[in-house]
Formats: sequence, C-alpha cells, structure tokens
Amino acid sequence: MAALSEEVLLVVKKVRQRKQDGTLYLMAERIAWGPEGKDRFTVSHLYADTRCQKISPDGKAKIQLQLVLHTGESTTFHFSNDSSALKDRDAAKELLQQLLPKFKKKANKELEEKNRMLQEDPVLFQLYKDLVVSQVISADEFWANRLGDTNHADPSLSNNKQEVGISGAFLADIRPQTDGCNGLRYNLTADIIESIFRTYPTVKEKYCENVPHNLTEKEFWTRFFQSHYFHRDRINTGTQDIFSECAKQDEQGLKSMVVQGVKNPLVDLLSLEDKTLDEGYGVCTTLPSTSNSNRSVKESSNSAIIKRFNHHSAMVLAAGSRKGETPANQASETSNTDGNSRDSVFFQPPVKKVKLKEAIEYEDLQRENRPKTVALNLKKSDRYAHGPVPLQSQQYTTSQDIINSVNYIQHEMVNYKPNLTQVLSSTTASSAIAALSSGGVLMQAATQQAINQMVPSEVQGELKHLYAAAGELLRHFWSCFPVNTPFMEEKVTKMKSNLERFQMTKLCPFQEKIQRQYLSTNLTGHLEEMLQTAYSKFHIWQTRRMLRKT
Amino acid sequence: MLNIEGLLVHFPYDYIYPEQYSYMLELKRTLDAKGHGVLEMPSGTGKTISLLSLIVAYQKVFPLEVSKLIYCSRTVPEIEKVVEELRKLMEYYSKQTGESNNFLALALSSRKNLCIHPEVSSLRVGKEVDGKCHTLTASYIRAQRHSDPDLPVCRFYEDFDAVGRQMPLPAGVYNLDDLKDFGKRNGWCPYYLARYSLMHANIVVYSYHYLLDPKIADLVSKELTKKSVVVFDEAHNIDNVCIDSMSVNISRRTLDRCQTNVETLQNTIQKIKETDATKLKMEYRRLVEGLKEANVARETDVYLSNPVLPDEILQEAVPGTIRTAEHFVGFLKRFLEYLKSRLRVHHVVQESTPQFLKDIFDKVCIDRKPLRFCAERLRSLLRTLEIADIADFSAVTLISNFATLVSTYSQGFTIIIEPFEDRTPTIANPVLHFSCMDPSIAIKPVFQRFQSVIITSGTLSPLDIYPRILDFRPVTMASFTMTLARTCLCPLIVGRGNDQVALSSKFETREDFAVIRNYGSLLQEMSAIVPDGIVAFFTSYMYMENIVAAWYEQGILENIQRNKLIFIETPDAAETSMALEKYQEACENGRGAILLSVARGKVSEGIDFVHHFGRAVIMFGVPYVYTQSRILKARLEYLRDQFQIRENDFLTFDAMRHAAQCVGRVIRGKTDYGLMIFADKRYARADKRGKLPRWIQEHISDGSLNLTVDEAVQLSKHFLRQMAQPFRQEDQLGLSLLTLEQLESEEMLKKISQIAHQT
Repeated sequence: MAALSEEVLLVVKKVRQRKQDGTLYLMAERIAWGPEGKDRFTVSHLYADTRCQKISPDGKAKIQLQLVLHTGESTTFHFSNDSSALKDRDAAKELLQQLLPKFKKKANKELEEKNRMLQEDPVLFQLYKDLVVSQVISADEFWANRLGDTNHADPSLSNNKQEVGISGAFLADIRPQTDGCNGLRYNLTADIIESIFRTYPTVKEKYCENVPHNLTEKEFWTRFFQSHYFHRDRINTGTQDIFSECAKQDEQGLKSMVVQGVKNPLVDLLSLEDKTLDEGYGVCTTLPSTSNSNRSVKESSNSAIIKRFNHHSAMVLAAGSRKGETPANQASETSNTDGNSRDSVFFQPPVKKVKLKEAIEYEDLQRENRPKTVALNLKKSDRYAHGPVPLQSQQYTTSQDIINSVNYIQHEMVNYKPNLTQVLSSTTASSAIAALSSGGVLMQAATQQAINQMVPSEVQGELKHLYAAAGELLRHFWSCFPVNTPFMEEKVTKMKSNLERFQMTKLCPFQEKIQRQYLSTNLTGHLEEMLQTAYSKFHIWQTRRMLRKT
Repeated sequence: MLNIEGLLVHFPYDYIYPEQYSYMLELKRTLDAKGHGVLEMPSGTGKTISLLSLIVAYQKVFPLEVSKLIYCSRTVPEIEKVVEELRKLMEYYSKQTGESNNFLALALSSRKNLCIHPEVSSLRVGKEVDGKCHTLTASYIRAQRHSDPDLPVCRFYEDFDAVGRQMPLPAGVYNLDDLKDFGKRNGWCPYYLARYSLMHANIVVYSYHYLLDPKIADLVSKELTKKSVVVFDEAHNIDNVCIDSMSVNISRRTLDRCQTNVETLQNTIQKIKETDATKLKMEYRRLVEGLKEANVARETDVYLSNPVLPDEILQEAVPGTIRTAEHFVGFLKRFLEYLKSRLRVHHVVQESTPQFLKDIFDKVCIDRKPLRFCAERLRSLLRTLEIADIADFSAVTLISNFATLVSTYSQGFTIIIEPFEDRTPTIANPVLHFSCMDPSIAIKPVFQRFQSVIITSGTLSPLDIYPRILDFRPVTMASFTMTLARTCLCPLIVGRGNDQVALSSKFETREDFAVIRNYGSLLQEMSAIVPDGIVAFFTSYMYMENIVAAWYEQGILENIQRNKLIFIETPDAAETSMALEKYQEACENGRGAILLSVARGKVSEGIDFVHHFGRAVIMFGVPYVYTQSRILKARLEYLRDQFQIRENDFLTFDAMRHAAQCVGRVIRGKTDYGLMIFADKRYARADKRGKLPRWIQEHISDGSLNLTVDEAVQLSKHFLRQMAQPFRQEDQLGLSLLTLEQLESEEMLKKISQIAHQT
C-alpha cells in the first residue's frame, strides 16, 4: 500500500469508480480509491481540496457519493455492495461530514484570501496572469511571498481572527424546495446549522439532548422545520412539540432582557414621562384593547411575529458580539444593581452623564482644538510627483518648526544685502542662463517629446505590464539577498533563471515588435538595465561563492 | 458676548448659527413687549441654548422686569438636557466675568425621580412612590407619631422639615441627580427641598403638568411670581396636554371600585363615631364656618387638590347638604347610583354638561352647587378620617373630581357615553367620557398670570393655528429656517410604486395588496442603499401590525433581513425600550438596522435618531388621527363653532404636525444628514405640503413630488454619495456658521434679517 504510515479511518469495499470495482479508503487527510487487485491508488484527493460531498437521494437505484473539488472537478463513487451499500455510504458520509469542515476552513480561508487579493488588485491580477499563467514562475512561488507579506503586515489580525457574525437572514437562506410530490425539502449546510445554534442556544440544547439517542439528525431538523417554533406565525397548538419548551425559554429570555432594562437612559421609554396621568384621566383614544379575550387569532399571531422579529434580531446581534460583550455586560449589571442600593445614589451611573453630554454637544459651534498645521499647497503637482528627491534621510519636522523656519527665512530675506563684489561676470552668467534655458546644452533631455504622444497606447499598456512583471520578479530576486541559507541559494539561482526566461519569452518579443513598428528604440532600455544590474549582482555573488568554496 | 439690540448676551460657544441670532432677536422683542410669542426653529439648531442665553442675560440686566424663568419641557431626558445646557452656560458666565455665579437653577420632577428614601424609591412606579411617601409624611401621620413613636418615619423629610427651610439652597445649577446628591449629603428630602426652593429659584425646569394640570399646578406652581417668563419647549402637542389634564373617563370598573371606596368610608365614619366623635364634629364646625383647609394645609397633604382652575373655585362655605360626613357619603352613593344607571345604556349618548346637570337633578335631585364642592368635601373628609394610603381611594377621588368639573364648566366640555368599543360591538364595556374640547381652558390662567409665555418647537407649522386653538394673542410669531452650507436633508415624496400603483394609506386602499407590496419594496430597496439606521413610521399600530404580517407572508421581511436587522415597536414600553437599545447597538457596530415604529407613539415623540442612528426616515402614509372616534368628532365640531377652524384643516394640521415630528427626528444638527421619505401620494398636494415646517418645505423641489420607488432610490443614492464627502467647519463658516466678527458686519446682519423675514 502506498501510504502505510497514514492512519486509515475507514475502508469500504466494493465501491465502483468509473465502472471499475475497487476499495475506498478514508485517511486522516485524504480520501483515496484503488481498483481491485492493485495496490496503488488511482484516485486520491486531499480533504483540503474538496469543496463538498453530495449524495444520491434515498430511493434511487444507484447509491452514490460525489466529491466536488475546489477546482470544479468531481469524482463519483458508486457503492455496489448489495447488502450494505446504503450503510456503507452513510458511514462514509458521516465520516466525511466530520472531516471536511476541519479542512475546509483552512483551505477556504487561503483560497478566499487569494481570490480576494486578485480581485481587489487589478495590477496583481495582471501580474498573476503574466507570471503564473504563462508559467514563468509557479503559483506557489508567487503566493509564498505575497501571503507572507500580508500576514506579517498585520500579525494581530491573523493571530486572533475576528469573530464572524451571523447573517440576519440566515433563516431566509434556507429556501424550501418542493420535491415534486407534495413535500418540502430544506437544504441545510453546516454554516446554517451553526448559525441556528449560535442564535438560538435553546435549539442547540435540544439537539444535544435528543439527537443521537432519541432522534436521528434528520428527524430532528424535520421536526424543527415543522414546529411552531420555526413558523412563529402559527399559534401554538400542540404541547408535545419538543420545541415548545424552546419557545418558552426564549420568551423567558426576552422577558429577562426586558426586566433588566436598558443602560442608556435616553432610550428608556418607561422613564420618559415625568408624571403620567392617573388612571381615568385624559382623553382616552381608542387603544388596542389589552385583554387577550377579545383579540382575534390573527391579531395575536401578528403580534407574535413582531415579537419574534425583535427577538431574532436581538439574538443575532448578541451572537455576533457575545464574546466582547460579556465583561461590559457584567460591569453594567453591577452598576445597575448597586444603582438600587442605598449607597450608590452618590454614584451616578456614568452612562447617563456621558449620554447627556453627547446630546447637548454642538461640535460645529466649537472651535477645533487641533495643533496648527500648514496646508500643503501644490502649484504644480507634477513637479511634486517627479521632482528630485533628496536622498539623505531627514528627521521629520513639526509644522511649528516649519512655520518658525519660514519666519526665520522671511526675516533673513528682509535683512538681505547683496554682496555685489562677488557676483558672476555678466558673460558667464548669460552663458549659464543660455545653457539652462530650453534648447540649451544642459536642457537637451527636457526637449524630448512626451513619450505618450509617440507610442501607441497599446504598446504603452504592454510596456506597463512588462514593467510590473519585471518589477515583481526583480523584487523576488532582490529579496533573496543577503543569501545566507541554502534555501535562499537555491531560490536565487532559480530566480535568476526566471529572469532570463522572462527576458527570453517576454522582453525580446516585445523588443522585436517595437523594432518592427519602427518606434523609438530605447523603450526597453531601462528594463534591460535593471535586468543587467540583477545579473551582475548574481555574478558577483556567484564568483564570491566560488571563491569561498575553493 | 453678543449684542442683541443693546442687550449683551454671553453665548457659550465660539461660533453661532445665523438663525440663533434671529431667534434671540425675536425673543428679546417678545420680552421687551411683555407679551407672548410663538417661535419655530428646527431642532438641532441650538434652540435651547439660545433661549437660555438670552433670558439669563435679560434676567441679569433687568432683574426687576424678569425675575424667574420657568422652562417646561415634555420628558425627563429633555429636562435633564436643558439643565445640562444651563450648567454649561453658567460655567461660561463665571469664566467670563470671573465672579461666582449667584443664580439658582433647578430641575423638578416627580417623587419617583427624586426620592432617596431606600424603601420608597425602590418602588419605582410613580403612583406607588407617591402613595408610600404620603403614608410616611402626611401631617396627621406625623402628628400621630408624637403619641406613638414606633410609627415608620421618613428621616429625610423630618430633617428637611426641621432645618432645611432655614437655609436656602446655595446658588448653583441642580439637575435631578445633583438634587439627590445634595439631599443625600445633608440628609434632606430632595423632592420637598426642590419644591420649596422653587419659590426663590431664578430658573426652574420641569414638565408641562406642573403648570397645565390644575390638580398639580395648584400645589406646586401656585406661588410663582407673575414676573416670570414661561417657556413651553417642544410645544407642538401642547393642546393635547391641556385637554388631557381636564378630561375624565369613567368605566364600570371605576364605579365598582368607587362603590367599595364609599363603603370603606362609611365604615370608617362609623368606627370613628364610636371612638372619637369629636373629630367629626370639629370638621363639621370648620365647614360651617367656611374655614377652608388653608389653615391645616401642609405641603405633604396636598395630595388631592381641586381639579378645576383656581379662578373657578368658589370662595364660599361648603353647602349644608353635604356638611356632615354621613350626609356626604349618602350624597356620594346617590351620585354613584346615578352614574351606574347612566352606564346601563345600549346606545351611544352624547350630551352637554347643562343637559347632564338637568338630568341628574330630575332623576336623583342632586343640585349643581353641592356637586361643585364634591372634590373639596372629599378632601376634607379623607383628611379627617386620617386615611393614609390615598392611592386606594383613587376611584372615589376621580368621581368627585368629575362631579366638580362637570358642574363648574358649562362650555368646552362634552359627555359621551359609549356602551361598547367600536371594534368589539358584542362586548359590553360602557365608558363615560367627560372630555375637554377646548385646550384654551387649561392654559388660560398661564397666559393671564405670567407676563411672557413663549411657545416653541421644531415643528409648529402652521404657526397661526396655535394662537387660535389656545386663544391668546402673541406679540411675535416667527418661523426660522435652518441655514445650510450643504443641503443635509432630502425630503422625497414617493407617490407611486414601480408598477405605477398609487401609494397611499387612505382607508380605501389600506388592505390593498399592491400598496402593501410596494411599500415593502420601498423599504427593501432603501435598506440596500442607506447606511446604518433607518426608521420607518406607520400611521397606527394596527396598520403596522397588518403590514408587517403581510410582508412576512410575502417574504419581504426576509429580504430586508439580508441587509439589516429589523426591530419593531410594540405597545409595551419596556419591550420597545429594549428593541430601541438593540437597534442603536446594531447601528453602532455597523451591522445596520431598521426600526419600525408608529407615529404618535412614544418613539416618535421622545427619541432622537442622531447621525448614524437615523440616516433615513420613511413615513408610510399620512398619520391622520382615528377620525371615527366620537370624542374627536365632538372636538372638531367645537373647533368649527368656536374658532372657525374647518374640520379638514384641523385634521390635516394634526396629521402633518405628527408627520413632521416623525421625519424631524433624524436631523439633529447641521453636521447630521438624513433622507426624509414621505410615502404617500397625498403629501404632494399643496394643502398637505404647505403645512410642513418651513425648513422641510423649502427643500422639497417640484422634481421630488411624485416619485416612483426607483426614482426615489436613484435620488437617495445621489444624495447619500454627496453627504458621504467630508464636511468641515470651514465649509460652514460664513454661511451657516458665523464668528463674532462676521456677525457684527453690517452686511451679514442685513442678510440674516432678510432670511428671517422671508416668512
């Protein structure tokens, strides 16, 4: 067997794949199938590559299980053991059900991340196409660097990943489908189940109580969807429903939430009124009568819906912030409780003060109290973008410093007296001016026509891509230095060959193309220069290494 | 330091909005003329601070002209906000002038918000706190304690009573919590301390009831000086407050409870007669002599006061027929039986108060005069019998208040007896409504007594209707708009669905499936494009329930849930508070939420949706009041006959002020922004649109009058994109925000007065 070291979790015999009999193995990290009589696997999928499993509906003649991979390919296994096909399939399904989610998260997260990065960054996407799709470098190489970057950039983010909330409409996502013969089918995914559990902890309790012992999973969910609990607009009729208790508990929860009251006094409708009219006074407007006896069934079902939505939203909200919330809750609870005790009358709940203060604040009527700053005023923004950049590192100066120095300069300027004995002679001065004005010797470079007028835009685009790709490769290349591990050595050599390959497959054809179009010659000069620099660096490194070795 | 027509006003901010300046100008003119004023200025433009700055400055300069500011607001948070703004102003004053502030400003609220007695305050419900307080502090209870020292006592009140009065509250600004702190520190009852300090405070902040409800005003606000300026903030509903304070409803349950009350009274009288007959004799003598209870009136007993306005109370002795306790109880019994017989009707009865009085005289020979003394006589009896917990006697108090009211006022009230509710004609539930139809009755003494009364709110349009229904003559009426550097509100009138179905909440199309569906798609589309919070208002709770149910069945709510969480107002205030808090939490953490709520509900009246808590508000339908109610019909008739206000005008006015209240909830300042969507084609009509406040009206362009859902979505997207751009202070300066120098320039003053006088 190919993988004896692997732990085999399940072996199912008589499983057909592509009309060939064989054996299905479920291992710790992958699923594999080998034809009968051979001791190698012809099919082997890592769980991490698997998107989902599908099973044939009950009652079909063929009992099958299909694995769908992330790539979109799928593999179908046909369980052909006459006596125990269904059992075999279910066993495999159950096991997969447990295994897949574990790997799914990991794989998914990476894949999603990659997808997201490509979608968000069109340049990166182009680069990906240029380098990976045209097989200059492998996808792994491409990503190794990228993902590393992002992870390093924000270690806090990757380490304690953010708790993901629950969609408010998760119940709406369970679309019932008619199965053709007067029944409904609900498709549940692990995500939805988790959402239900997180939002309605009571359902989870019920599940834990009942599921393996009293009911199968399927029965449980069937009952759930049939229950009054799911369809809140129905008036509770049967008490034998296992979920009626849930409803009661929810109601209790809602009540306790209501009793607890609200923390923000500004939204507390109970204490809004200062003095309510005593009973019997006031114009009585026709209020909906509160006595239950004369409420019609429809009305009470309506109010049940309203209650349900409030509860649902509150639960979803709570599920999303359950972790962060608890300490805050406790704090407020304690302050709440001692709000009643006698000593704490001195201790005003701070929430109230803050909220009151917020409510009377007019931010725009107040002068802003920020340190004085100087607005950057660009007369010619292109000069800012392309102008010479001093290389010496400067310490940052505060705005105040700048203002001071401007003042100082102004002061100096006022006191400036030209030293007329030490000026240039007029001839040298005029020749210098001539040299510096347009057409002069020193200004030759400035006369060149704007490149964007000479070169067709399509070539420009291509050039841009080349630059991006070359830049990416060079980045990989240069990031290898200093080369101090054998891995780096290997990589740098590979990168050099990558660069060469890039020059051969991409740059040279482009050069030829330009020449064919008789465009100005030196469009790629800078690119080549960059590559040359890299090559020479590589040579220097190589020769040094040789020297060291000898 | 601003110069408002010669008055130097300290304004605690670096900048000022032009409309604040205009507002102060108008206010000053009102004060100068010693008259009343109606001023409308959008919320979020610093109305409160402008009011306070000007009036405080006025008080400082002319202490003899205006000696007190009485600031009335509607809700407890509002009251606290006003006091906080005042604190800010006072701190600014002492910083600017360098001297410590000698103003006393305080907030007053009911016992439940001020009590520090550990047991009493833990009751939390207003009525219970009041009752418990009364059992500890009533004068005869305290008298009994002299003989029986074991009786429970409120040490805070005792300490206050012993020393609190000698030492006036030191100058400063006292919010409710500050009062409690102060009370705690000195061991004095903050409630009575505040009530006592009311008399010499320079500024008082409390709720409407303390001035408008005669039952409370008589106790609390009786001795406030005439040279006060009274401000009613958020006054758009003031007429309803007035009416509520004078109306009474009597159901069969009330009568049953009253019956037991009367029996208890009778038994107590019997008992006292056997043990302590002198007490009753004393009372009788007192009543004969016409000695009013003034001599024994202690502030703590003031529990039951006369329900009618002070100038209507007869200044004479209680008539002989009800002077003895037994006779009075007999009188009450007869009255009760009469009311019971009236409630036994099978059809609706509506009659005027003279008719009612005539009928009662014919049937049970009860005269008008003893009826008028009913409330006062009951008060005397309850005190004589030393009944501690008056809360138990609320039913008999209600009946006697009704007796006094009905015999005092022959105009402006109506009596309607309904045998059943309109919606449930099979269930007998007779109610006698004694309903006040004229808000000017309750507010009249306020206008007469105080030299300046300012009625102000963010939404008072159309301005001229308030003087008419409240029956007073203002010296100034002005509506200020919000000067804006960017148009931060976007009112849109959506009149059609994408399928061209006319959208309306009017009665005929209420159940129309197409309308409900289109409303749903409006909300759904908005939920997809509006960031953070959306608030939607429906015309009534019933309507909302039905629509929510329909949306649920059609799966619209599920689709909305994909975009935002949904929270819904319920009739239960505690539940709604929780939903509201969760709604804010969801807006805060970025998930976004929708709050479905009801116009005229608590949310629409008291909760602000600043910034991200409300980026859009959708008004589904025109919030007309339930017009089939007989009380309303009677009131409309009265308005027509007395004030020449046509029914339709009043109904539209009422609907539009509530609509304006609802949509105005999202804009709370110039840095805020929000969409205002009026989803009913009727809003496009000039008679509706013209009744919106000016600051909303002027942003409704002809192009946004009858939009389809899609068009509204397009306009909203555009608007939201614009609003998402950074908005800095510099953008506002000189336009909607002025420095002192800018304000002083001739040119700017001209511009401001031009804006202000566009009305």
